[in-house]
Amino acid sequence: MQRRSFFAGAATAVAAASVSRVALAALPEPASQSSAETAAPLVPPNGRPYRPVVTLNGWTTPWRMNHGVKEFHLVAEPVVREVAPGFSVNMWGYNGQSPGPTIEVVEGDRVRIFVTNRLPEHTTIHWHGQRLPNGMDGVGGLTQPHIAPGKTFVYDFVARRPGTFMYHPHADEMTQMAMGMMGLWITHPKAAHPLIANVDRDYAFLLSAYDVEPGAMTPRVNEMTDFNIWTFNSRVFPAISPLVAKQGDRVRMRVGNLTMTNHPIHIHGHEFEVTGTDGGPVPKTARWPEVTTDVAVGQMRQMEFIADELGDWAMHCHKSHHTMGAMGHDVPTMIGVDHRGLVSKIQKIVPDYMVMGERGMGDMGAMEMPLPDNTFPMMTGTGPFGPLEMGGMFTTLKVRAQLGASDYRDPGWFKHPQGTVAQEWTGAPPDSTAPRQTAPGTAPRAPSVRKPGTDGGHGSHH
Amino acid sequence: MRRLSVLAAALVLAGCASVSPDGLRGDVQEQTQSRLPKDAQLPSANSNAEADEQKRIGEWLQKPVDQDTAVRIALLNNPDLQVQLASLAVEDAERAQALTLFNPTLTLGRFTNAHEIEFERELAFGLVNIITLPWRSRWLGWQMERSTLQASQNVLTLAADTRRAWLRAVAAEQALIANEKMNDAAQLGAELARRMAAVGNFNRLQQARELSIAQESAAQLARARLNATLEREQLARLMGLWGTQTAFELPKQLPAIPKSASELRAGDDAEATALRERLDLRALRRDLDVTADRGGWSRVGAVFGDIGVTYSNNRAKDRESGHVEKTRGWELELPLPIFDWGGSASARTRAEVQRSAAQLQSAALRARSEARTNWSRYRTAWDLAHQQQAEVLPLAKQVQDETMLRYNGMFDSVWQLLAQARTTTQVVVNATNAQRDFWIAETDLQLALTGTSPGGIAPFAATTSNSNNNESGGH
Repeated sequence: MQRRSFFAGAATAVAAASVSRVALAALPEPASQSSAETAAPLVPPNGRPYRPVVTLNGWTTPWRMNHGVKEFHLVAEPVVREVAPGFSVNMWGYNGQSPGPTIEVVEGDRVRIFVTNRLPEHTTIHWHGQRLPNGMDGVGGLTQPHIAPGKTFVYDFVARRPGTFMYHPHADEMTQMAMGMMGLWITHPKAAHPLIANVDRDYAFLLSAYDVEPGAMTPRVNEMTDFNIWTFNSRVFPAISPLVAKQGDRVRMRVGNLTMTNHPIHIHGHEFEVTGTDGGPVPKTARWPEVTTDVAVGQMRQMEFIADELGDWAMHCHKSHHTMGAMGHDVPTMIGVDHRGLVSKIQKIVPDYMVMGERGMGDMGAMEMPLPDNTFPMMTGTGPFGPLEMGGMFTTLKVRAQLGASDYRDPGWFKHPQGTVAQEWTGAPPDSTAPRQTAPGTAPRAPSVRKPGTDGGHGSHH
Repeated sequence: MRRLSVLAAALVLAGCASVSPDGLRGDVQEQTQSRLPKDAQLPSANSNAEADEQKRIGEWLQKPVDQDTAVRIALLNNPDLQVQLASLAVEDAERAQALTLFNPTLTLGRFTNAHEIEFERELAFGLVNIITLPWRSRWLGWQMERSTLQASQNVLTLAADTRRAWLRAVAAEQALIANEKMNDAAQLGAELARRMAAVGNFNRLQQARELSIAQESAAQLARARLNATLEREQLARLMGLWGTQTAFELPKQLPAIPKSASELRAGDDAEATALRERLDLRALRRDLDVTADRGGWSRVGAVFGDIGVTYSNNRAKDRESGHVEKTRGWELELPLPIFDWGGSASARTRAEVQRSAAQLQSAALRARSEARTNWSRYRTAWDLAHQQQAEVLPLAKQVQDETMLRYNGMFDSVWQLLAQARTTTQVVVNATNAQRDFWIAETDLQLALTGTSPGGIAPFAATTSNSNNNESGGH
């Protein structure tokens, strides 16, 4: 499903229809991106050098150097995000995508960001985690007037400390973040930093969640808890790019959480350390090894590890429903329900009916059932051994022995060395005489035969 | 000479006043032919034909009874119609009798006294009876025409009632089948809920909710079943069927409605058609003619009563002498109009004429209004039925399909799927009812334009024992 193709920097420059060229004459041309594929890292053409990040299924915006000032132009606008092939969502984003482009600068850079509003309502941008003059903090009504539709505002400050940050609106933010308005901001250290390691691979993504009614295209912005689309950078498994690494690479993952709940981000086969938060690098004495770290709401985490174990390793949010696509949260559990004699009768009334959930929901991962248009299935994705039964905040870390330093392409499925895959036991059969202790619907030690006529009354069960 | 010819003419007319051999059924048939299904026939007056008719009915009942056949059977077999047709024949016989000249009176007497024996022979003859014969013949003829028109209306009303009953019976049968399907869905939901509870997936409340749906559905099915039985009984009653005949089959579907509005009857000539064609108006027009014509007669009758002519031929014999004396002669008996010059009688006829005229006017007014309203109902019924066919049903199917897709994605449960199936089936029932209502409106329109008042017309209500008149207005 995932086609890993890299776009060299910003793909196309699109001038807005609603903002005239004359009005934009003094502004940097806004770069725009139409693809949801992962773009190649943007090697800085000017300014202080740094090692760029890779934004999963995203891109880094180019800038214009203007008398030593890095000038960016963000355009807030409605976009259609391909959350997965065949599943597109109406969102609000920046420069053609949600999330917006990653802004990469170097500690000490003077930054000027032009923000043009092409939304139907006012907005602002808050530079989450930055040290800056109060009036540049982007809180509508508090530190600045709102940016009315059609207007362009300019933010001007110095990126004072290195780290992982993000940007998002601080005006009608419940709606605007539910619609996907967000982006990453990476400030690279200007020189070697004792707490910031040089890494070989630097991946960045934001966590966001949406509630899209099956068959609809626009998220329900009034939802507060019951989301059904859980994304890394507004993409879901299997449409999220894998993180690839050459064996022995030091890998950094930068994760920011703009959903309304926490996400225990978990990686298989390796242990990592949280080396930084949006507060800055973590002192070495405060780091401890983990395989899961919780990224709370509104937080950012930098995790680092050595990718020394070959294979295709799962990397996902450990809340199991966050690795599910859209599903009915009110559907009753059907496990263990005897359907004998009923299926053909139901099919007389509803010809396309099939039993589902009788043995659990795993069937869903394998079945290709027709769904409402533009609906992301609950379980999907196929691996080399069968259905993955995932959909949401899930991707893979692919560690390979042979990989070019700047090669980020999907290397395909891992070829396991002989004898290293779990397999069916072919020895003596298991002891089948072990009795089953309880039957479904019956409490342990409950009498196995009920007296006729007593099973309708309260209190007769115990 | 002149008087003789009048008398001769009267006698000729009197001779013509014979009883119609078929009790005027032929006339009724002629009046109604074009308004009934092809080959529809009234029961023959000849009782020999009955076996034939029953055989034909038996053949018709072998196959599913379509709408026209139902009408054909009802016309042949409905006992109430036979009562009415027999009444018409009775009336015809009475008319023929009324037009027959009164038999002359022969009076014979034998009188004796001491010296005489007298034989008296008188032949008396009511004269007015003869003089007014052409007159009476004319308006009795009109009256029979009016009665024929009335009987014809009864035939058309029966045909319309039968059509409506057929439509209702077929629709009720369709609704019953749909209700059975709805009930199946509800019972399946309940059974599945029971099994859910058995393995601990449903609590008592969840199970009870599904069970209550099944119970409600079972009750609705019972009502649908009763309704289908009642509608079918009504049809059987109108067709005059009983015993094993009531096991007749009906088609599974109502006829399709016209596809486009252009196939519908236009409404602009409705009033004119009704005024031209309706039998009740023609009957009332006859009423008016008769009452107006009777005006003259009533004056003559009131003033002169009956003029009697008596011819006597008496014979008296003297007992002693044996002398026989014969007397011949005639008497004319004339009432003298001293007290009653016919004023009150003519006032009454004037009032009767006025009444007749007003009745005709009222009926014409009603006919116009009924033509308009029934056309509107017909047109709207088509719009509604067409909307059901063209929009509501496809939409319901789409909802059903989308629900199926939502079930596939585990967004909806099987209970929601079954509930949607029940809803869809109810939509089908509604569409069937709309289709039925269109055809009923069409039947009413036909009757309102070419027959009589679809709701039953008051002046004839007394002689129309058909109980369906009450019902036909109330759907």
